[in-house]
Amino acid sequence: MARMAAEAFFLPADPGQRFCLYHPPRGAARGAFLYLHPFAEEMNKSRRMAASMARRLAENGYAVLQIDLAGCGDSSGDFGDATWQGWLDDVRRACDWLSARHARVPLWLWGLRCGALLAVAAAQQHRIAANFLFWQPVMAGRHHLQQFLRLKVAGEMIGGAAKGVMEDLKRRLAAGETVEIAGYALNPALAQALESAALVPPPTPGRLLWYEVSARAEATLSPAAQNCLEQWRAAGFTIHSAVTPAPSFWQTSEIEDAPTLLEATLMALS
Amino acid sequence: MNTQREVLALLDEILSLKGRSVAMTRDTPLLGALPELDSMAVVAVITALEERFGFSVEDDEIDGSAFVTVGALVDFVEAKLAG
Repeated sequence: MARMAAEAFFLPADPGQRFCLYHPPRGAARGAFLYLHPFAEEMNKSRRMAASMARRLAENGYAVLQIDLAGCGDSSGDFGDATWQGWLDDVRRACDWLSARHARVPLWLWGLRCGALLAVAAAQQHRIAANFLFWQPVMAGRHHLQQFLRLKVAGEMIGGAAKGVMEDLKRRLAAGETVEIAGYALNPALAQALESAALVPPPTPGRLLWYEVSARAEATLSPAAQNCLEQWRAAGFTIHSAVTPAPSFWQTSEIEDAPTLLEATLMALS
Repeated sequence: MNTQREVLALLDEILSLKGRSVAMTRDTPLLGALPELDSMAVVAVITALEERFGFSVEDDEIDGSAFVTVGALVDFVEAKLAG
């Protein structure tokens, strides 16, 4: 099959513009996906998997829009100036763009890691009725922030002295300072917003596909994930969840593929 | 449960060692010897250990001594498991 070309363009935003890649569906659209990338370096590590899934979805009749959030990737702005609210507005703009072209098909918010947190926050705030596809979703922003700050601790550890680094970072953020973590300027407002984000079900129920990966073949969902899914089920969502054997490609040293994840996702949609 | 085998499998995945971990022993040096072990990999290893073994690592426990050798990392995990 000939590969369908993705169309790159800049979506006007305020301020600046957001780099987008649109993958038109083969044939009549069966659904429209908006991909929301993970936080900081995890975004770069997962580019290839996101592109592979987007192409496969397009070949299977789904429209896919990938957006680089403000201050990320090829969009305008610096990461250090990015705000959670700005990102929520980016999600709404991208949804509007997709809905204008594919109004009659289901809208899906596809979030990887922190992208899942952003998807539910945007759906909540902007009253976006959508289905959700989560890949290894971050369930608590607090843990994710902690993990991100640890990059600094680990970096100092490699350099020989990690003692007190975390306390110092937290003190500086609390004092309103921007801190530098692994090449990313993290502003205190973004840190605070991330810290309070949680993967709670948005008001309009729909479908939820939840995938985690594990290097072990016999792995099951963590108790934390099971509790979270129970909340979504109680909120009226129709849920499909699975653990698929694949590398944790958003954090591996080399860029890895997770073909089983692509296949499982497509299978659940068909 | 064989802690060393579990730890090596986890290192192999996160550091993209492509099976090179089978040749590792307790004495195999990690930090400074494995170029793949950068700060992102260290954090990924700690997070994966927490998830895999169900303990939580405090920030002030993140210390280079646990990453000197394979044996040191295995001992760190076993000490955490022993609580």
